[in-house]
Amino acid sequence: MSPKHLSRDTKRFLWIGMLPSALLYGLFVIWPAINALMYSFTRWDGLSTPVWIGIDNFVNLFKSGSDFVTAIGHNIYLTVVPGSIILTLALFFAWMIHLKVAGSTLFRVTFFFPNVIASVAVALLWVLLYSTTEMGPINNIRQALHMEKVPFLESARLLQSIVPMMVWSATGFYLVLFLAAMENIPVDYYEAAHLDGASPTLQFIRITLPLMWDVLTTGIIFLIVGGLKFFDAVWVMENGRPSPATHTMSSLMYAKVFEEYNVGYGTAIAVLLFVLVLIITRISMRLLKRERLEY
Amino acid sequence: MRGSFLEKLGTLVRTGVLGLWMLGVVLPMFWVLATSLKSTKEVTRSPFGIPDALAHPGAKTFAVITENYSKAWIGSGFSAYFWNSLKVVSISLALILLLGSMAAYCLSRFEFRGRNAIYNAFVAGLLIPMQLILIPLFFQYADWSDVLTRSFAPVARMLQLGNLTVSLHNSHEGIILIYVAASLPFTIFTLTSFFGTLPGGVREAAMIDGASEARTFFSVMLPLAKPGLITVAIFNFLGLWNEYLFGIVFLADNKLKTLPLGLASISMQAQYKSDFGLMFAGLVITMVPTLVVYLLLQRHLTKGITAGAVKG
Repeated sequence: MSPKHLSRDTKRFLWIGMLPSALLYGLFVIWPAINALMYSFTRWDGLSTPVWIGIDNFVNLFKSGSDFVTAIGHNIYLTVVPGSIILTLALFFAWMIHLKVAGSTLFRVTFFFPNVIASVAVALLWVLLYSTTEMGPINNIRQALHMEKVPFLESARLLQSIVPMMVWSATGFYLVLFLAAMENIPVDYYEAAHLDGASPTLQFIRITLPLMWDVLTTGIIFLIVGGLKFFDAVWVMENGRPSPATHTMSSLMYAKVFEEYNVGYGTAIAVLLFVLVLIITRISMRLLKRERLEY
Repeated sequence: MRGSFLEKLGTLVRTGVLGLWMLGVVLPMFWVLATSLKSTKEVTRSPFGIPDALAHPGAKTFAVITENYSKAWIGSGFSAYFWNSLKVVSISLALILLLGSMAAYCLSRFEFRGRNAIYNAFVAGLLIPMQLILIPLFFQYADWSDVLTRSFAPVARMLQLGNLTVSLHNSHEGIILIYVAASLPFTIFTLTSFFGTLPGGVREAAMIDGASEARTFFSVMLPLAKPGLITVAIFNFLGLWNEYLFGIVFLADNKLKTLPLGLASISMQAQYKSDFGLMFAGLVITMVPTLVVYLLLQRHLTKGITAGAVKG
């Protein structure tokens, strides 16, 4: 239908349908996003007049030894280490379910449980699991095996301790995602490969992986973006006071703005986070296009 | 024969491995549930045993359960946190579904000036991290509250309402507006492609019968879009119910806190006082609602992820 042929009733409906969403989105998402760009080029304490300082904030972010450089390292750690474990486990479990097991629905449903629990609750659950008091299960098991108690939650160890928590809570989601992709591959391909004498492992490498490549890429994008934005668990496990040893980009941003009143610097972190998300999605999309197989 | 034996063995081994992982996923949750039925003394005495309340059921042992949960629900304000969550999330969801479905329908079924630009702007929003808009919104809200208070002042004086102050900070209305706006990109993106899959003749048939656009939308198109609406509702529900970052900035007042915010602040006090009963009960109260919703709607949720995966 071309614009000219719209009746008065249709036009009125379009206005009523589009205006509230466009207005809300413009005022509460687009406008703040533009403001964020502007703040990031200023020095501002949130009260006095902002001073334009060009790209100084971004230069300062990357000064060697700055808290930001350490924080971005933590984000990379929390992306790469749990991310690769999650990918491997989710692929492995999805493939096992796909090959036929008893009770596949039960597995699918229960593996997903931790994913629907609030990240704050997951973090506190792991605080309790790691507890060094007499009720901490993990340290109790260690003692039963004649090993030393470990203060898993001290700052120097916290990021490592977060890895099992992330694996525990996220694997189920990626399993469901990958399993759906696997079940979408036509059975004929496997039958043909089977007739040619290809082993299940070879079938997985030669048929399954290439044909689910786009979903795998989607999964990797989710994991990277999630790792870049990581906040809740660090914040909760550090009781709202992360140290430079545990700060991620998001928690550092929060501390800079709301505790040190360094609004420009904090917003520059947010802008950089956005740019990183943009670049990584772009690169992955491009890789995805090249590798996409039609079937 | 040999093949079928190997096949059976393979199935058994795979089921075993998956069963082990399932134990790893479920045991910590059962442990929290079981511990929430114990008094702090019992937690220290037998942290992993079967709770007395289950081993020796009786009025005396049951008293521990009611004590933990009433301490959490009433004494520590979890009931207030729960109702706050319910209020904020249900109003947000209703608005997201209403506004999002109308906009998505307009974008998918009509050609109008600026259609592509608006659609692209919404899709671009999928890439904007919440962190980017958090700080500007904090300062915008202070400015807007001032402006609104000043512009309402003459009206308030006229109606003799006294001094009316509008505050978007520390108010459920303020955070609902942000939640709705920030959820629109995902909602509109998903629903636009969903409306696109519905048969084109339906709208025309309804129009020929003399129905207005609004009537066609609400009584014909919207019911057809129910599967899409359910998917969008589940994902938004889980995201908003568990939201934390915007909460700590915009809901600092204890009376206004939602469950994740309340749980975080109560647990800090409970850990300090070593009040384990309270902490575990609070965890259970926070975990149960989303788990129940998930169990009721898991088929739709899996279908939503599957549809996303197949489309890539």
